[in-house]
Amino acid sequence: MRLVLYTGKGGVGKTTTAAATAVCAAGRGLSTLVVSADAAHSLADVLGRPLGVPDDPSAARPVAENLHALEVDARAAMERHWGRVRDYLISIFRYQGIEDVVAEELALLPGAEELTTLLAVEELAASGSFDFVVVDCAPTGSTLRLVTLPDVADGTIRWLLRLHQALSAVVTPLARSLVPAPLPGSEVFRDADALLYRKLRALRARLSSGQTSVRLVMTPERMVIDEARRAHTDLALFDVGCDAVVMNRLLPESACAEAFFRDWGTVQEERVREVADRFDPLPVLRAPLQDDEVIGLDRLARQGDALFADAAPEALLCRAPRPRYSRSKAGYRLSLPLPGAIAGDLDVVKVDDELVVTTAARRRSIALPRRVAALDLAGARLAGDRLVVRFAGGASG
Amino acid sequence: MRVLLLTGKGGVGKTSMALATALGAAVHGHRTIVLSTDPAHSLGDSLARPVGAAPVEVAPNLMAQEIGVLAELDRAWSDVQEWLRALLRDDADDLVAEELLVFPGMEELVSLRAVREVEATGAYDVCVVDCAPTGATLRMLRFPDALRIFMENFFDLERRGARLLRPLLDRISRGLIPKEEFFEAFERLYREVEDVRQILLDGDRTSARLVVNPAHVVVEEARRSFAYLSLYGVATDAVVVNRELPDGARGGFFERWAERERREQEDIAASFPVPILHAPLHPRELRGIDALRGLAEQVYGPADPAGVFVRSRPVRLHKEGGVPILEIDLPTASKEEIQLAARGDELVIRMRDARRMVALPASLAGRLVAGTRFENGVLRVRFH
Repeated sequence: MRLVLYTGKGGVGKTTTAAATAVCAAGRGLSTLVVSADAAHSLADVLGRPLGVPDDPSAARPVAENLHALEVDARAAMERHWGRVRDYLISIFRYQGIEDVVAEELALLPGAEELTTLLAVEELAASGSFDFVVVDCAPTGSTLRLVTLPDVADGTIRWLLRLHQALSAVVTPLARSLVPAPLPGSEVFRDADALLYRKLRALRARLSSGQTSVRLVMTPERMVIDEARRAHTDLALFDVGCDAVVMNRLLPESACAEAFFRDWGTVQEERVREVADRFDPLPVLRAPLQDDEVIGLDRLARQGDALFADAAPEALLCRAPRPRYSRSKAGYRLSLPLPGAIAGDLDVVKVDDELVVTTAARRRSIALPRRVAALDLAGARLAGDRLVVRFAGGASG
Repeated sequence: MRVLLLTGKGGVGKTSMALATALGAAVHGHRTIVLSTDPAHSLGDSLARPVGAAPVEVAPNLMAQEIGVLAELDRAWSDVQEWLRALLRDDADDLVAEELLVFPGMEELVSLRAVREVEATGAYDVCVVDCAPTGATLRMLRFPDALRIFMENFFDLERRGARLLRPLLDRISRGLIPKEEFFEAFERLYREVEDVRQILLDGDRTSARLVVNPAHVVVEEARRSFAYLSLYGVATDAVVVNRELPDGARGGFFERWAERERREQEDIAASFPVPILHAPLHPRELRGIDALRGLAEQVYGPADPAGVFVRSRPVRLHKEGGVPILEIDLPTASKEEIQLAARGDELVIRMRDARRMVALPASLAGRLVAGTRFENGVLRVRFH
């Protein structure tokens, strides 16, 4: 099962691109699901049809042959995935004299929405019903948070489990008599363990696996490209790989010829070149601006054909190994794939928050995550096909 | 201090519009600050100069600040943070653990708190907030409710529990149970968020401005946001239609786009009962002070961007023949989407996947709801 997540700055056409990818894959015979994980859903608007399934809000709705679509309903997902954990919360509220309806609302605390969205994606991905799952993510900032959430929850849940073991071994009988509220029974923690912990770990493993990749969607605008570059860097830090970038809304030649858009055309060419260079070796998928808003299956199919004229939508479009960060005793270590490099031709310098690597053939600058950028370059050496760069000391060490 | 929340779907031009609004206010002589709460900041990108976590002067009368979640946490909540760090210390490596301190809810908290801090300095007449895209902004507005619920239902329980269990558990594993300072920090934070809530719900002080493009998907989302804002009690005083095709660009390739725009403009006029402001598509990206000041003139003309463009109170309580009535504007909502539940001194209104808890005044607390009606975009709740 192949999983592709689309993200990028707001308004670049993530939903359209995700839907077009799914429509294209389904059209080529792949059993495909497109999921919206953005709390402000637009998938139904783009597909031009309502998506909710009346009796089962967590079910994906068939929208075409081979194609299902779903806008994750956080409340429904919550009820499905949190089972007894939610029941426990409700029992506390009920103990305090709050009606059930309201208690349900209260269980929706910050983070629960993102968490349940992730669980829904993991469950659908693991269901075996689809060959290809396309996720329309929230704008970049939120997506990074979404991707890191399994780690956060993992830590928290593990802590809770430890606390619970301690509690049940030593103080539960005592505490039950002292604390004026229902204490969670072990079945609550079993649920937390089975449902949250394990599923989140599975999802985390899935995100870092070779079956999952992120595609960054951009338009030929300065701010959009800058944000995508930052996202690309941060994703590497969390060991999530990108396999392509999408250049969306390219003004077609006929439009560039019009007086009003002449400058636009020139700037656009520069930007496309810049993106190809900055994101190398990732391939750039291109989609022209259509002559009307992309709404409905026909226009989405057209968009998909433009994007995937030369590639399969589900293919892993870039197999080049990615940079990997790891913690070292003194600071951090970056392992960078650099096949064919010769030590004598190599020059590595750190300029502000970028690492500039020059080989005989070319120069490459790699934006560093903030925490790493705060350190000093401590050394670099070639290890087989990889360049290993050490960072240490610095201001925040 | 006047607070303007510039919000809308991603990519509609919120940041440009926030900066234009702030520049316009500064030109009108107001001491102005523009804050970005979007975790993917772009104030600096748009101004073509660095803007950081500390306010920096970018034009006469105008400061700019990009709120950094990590920096704010470092600065303000060392007690809370220390405990979170202790929790994660185990096996998460340091680099990642630091990043992970950006817990869900933290961004919302930091954004809300920033508004209060700006107000507390007394140094500004106008605070323009460049909000995160709609989903995150709505989470921010919902946050005070969620926090209040937590405080009222869990907080004392946890604190008492912690006091009781700490001596026992510290013997097993030190640091498992948060220290008393943690609870104090948390309480402080709660009071701060309550302060901000008061600011945001005051229509004389705070207005939301919805930025849209004349495109169907954008307008549909704005219609939903408008109702959510109203549900949360935030007054919207204008809609800005950004990137309208100028006359020179409505033919040729863009003919159908121009036709779509005409239909969407009609829909916009019919959907939003507030003044509609306009800005054209520019042939280049708008970057730098001069370009943004030009945008301010196009949108606001001679009007003061800091003004209240239409006065509305989305949530109203009044009496009709001695019967108390609560009215809530829910434009663009439909009857089937609205659910209601009463709980002691609160009314819980659910609309699609948004929910609001309206605190009732003491005189209404515990009273039964006699009837509800939804008509012309207004929900009316009658009490016994």
